[in-house]
Amino acid sequence: MPSYKLTYFNGRGRAEVSRLIFAVAGEKFEDVRYEMDQWPAHKAEMPLGQIPVLEVDGVKLPQSAAIARFLAKQFHLAGKDNFEQAKVDAVVDTIDDSFKGFVPTRFEKDEAKKEELTKKYFGEELPKHLQNLETLGKLYGNGGHFFVGNQLTWADLLFYTFAQAWIGVEADCLNNFSWLKKNRAEVEKQPKIAEYLKNRPQTQF
Amino acid sequence: MSTYKLYYFNVRGRGEVARLIFAAADQKYEDIRYEREEWVSHKSEMPLGQMPVLEYNGVKLPQSAAINRFLANQFHLAGKDNFDQAKVDAVVDTINDMISKYRPIRMEQDEAKQKELTKTFLADELPKHLQNLEGLGKLYGSGGSFFVGNNLTWADLYFYDIAQHILELDENIFNSYPWLKENRQQVEKQPKIAEYLKNRPKTSH
Repeated sequence: MPSYKLTYFNGRGRAEVSRLIFAVAGEKFEDVRYEMDQWPAHKAEMPLGQIPVLEVDGVKLPQSAAIARFLAKQFHLAGKDNFEQAKVDAVVDTIDDSFKGFVPTRFEKDEAKKEELTKKYFGEELPKHLQNLETLGKLYGNGGHFFVGNQLTWADLLFYTFAQAWIGVEADCLNNFSWLKKNRAEVEKQPKIAEYLKNRPQTQF
Repeated sequence: MSTYKLYYFNVRGRGEVARLIFAAADQKYEDIRYEREEWVSHKSEMPLGQMPVLEYNGVKLPQSAAINRFLANQFHLAGKDNFDQAKVDAVVDTINDMISKYRPIRMEQDEAKQKELTKTFLADELPKHLQNLEGLGKLYGSGGSFFVGNNLTWADLYFYDIAQHILELDENIFNSYPWLKENRQQVEKQPKIAEYLKNRPKTSH
């Protein structure tokens, strides 16, 4: 039985998909959370000076997607065979493409520029990616509500958590995307996820 | 007998790693290359209107990373178990972090500005990424010259391919990174890869 330790900031961010995977799988792990002022003292302990990092039986693994995919494979949430896992990966990559443009809008310091970037992102950029995600869900989802093969995979969990960040800024951003809305509703209904969402720490990001 | 078709432009770009994997595995595939004018009439055939796309037994898969990982898994170039595969993924993500900083610079139209941005990239950005990659190679490489577990994986092929773009900026760059230099030399020496490199089409990028 491997031991798992996940280290990240005290926020959802790039670690939450992995926490969701542990929750769905009903697997124990050490959930280490650093406040911003605690992190500098630990930076040098991490392979790339970044978090999240997953430690498995004492060996450290950086990079949030590598971590999530590893855990998903450990707990059968990655897709039932090699090609289905590839479809899941393609959805994940498309979710990442969607999220790339969002990050600069959050970190822009000039208020006027921030508003402009945010408007452009939600008005022009994000809808294209959401359209692509619906396309993949309909192509690979076997007619169901999950992205791939009629089963919950980490692609659904990743979309769930990143979309929460978008909805926090623009509550209506999924209004024109009923398949994606249904997908998130399906994820929230899963008993272990519903319980996790109810009890997890409420954080700023 | 599985069939593989790779659709991409007639360049290395985001398609070359898949071609390197096919070569290393000595696997037959249809290497479809569209010139720019041809592509226009095929765009709507692809799930996300983009390439590369892999068609596996008639089903289309977009997203270069998903394609590469799938092929690597098919042909035992992905890592020997789940955790080794995760290490390979972490190296790949770290290579991505490096190249994602460079791509916008390549897109810059103003030649003077591009020169300036390139200079900054080489001085301020690139070193930490190359140091990170050497760090991972030494952490996961079991004392050998490949990134993970003393075996060739697609992480080595990906670095080999991406490094070619970096070498065009500074042909001596790897003199300061002996581990990475040795890694590339080991990749080039693999007989099937040496033969592929000798015979592949010469393209602009």
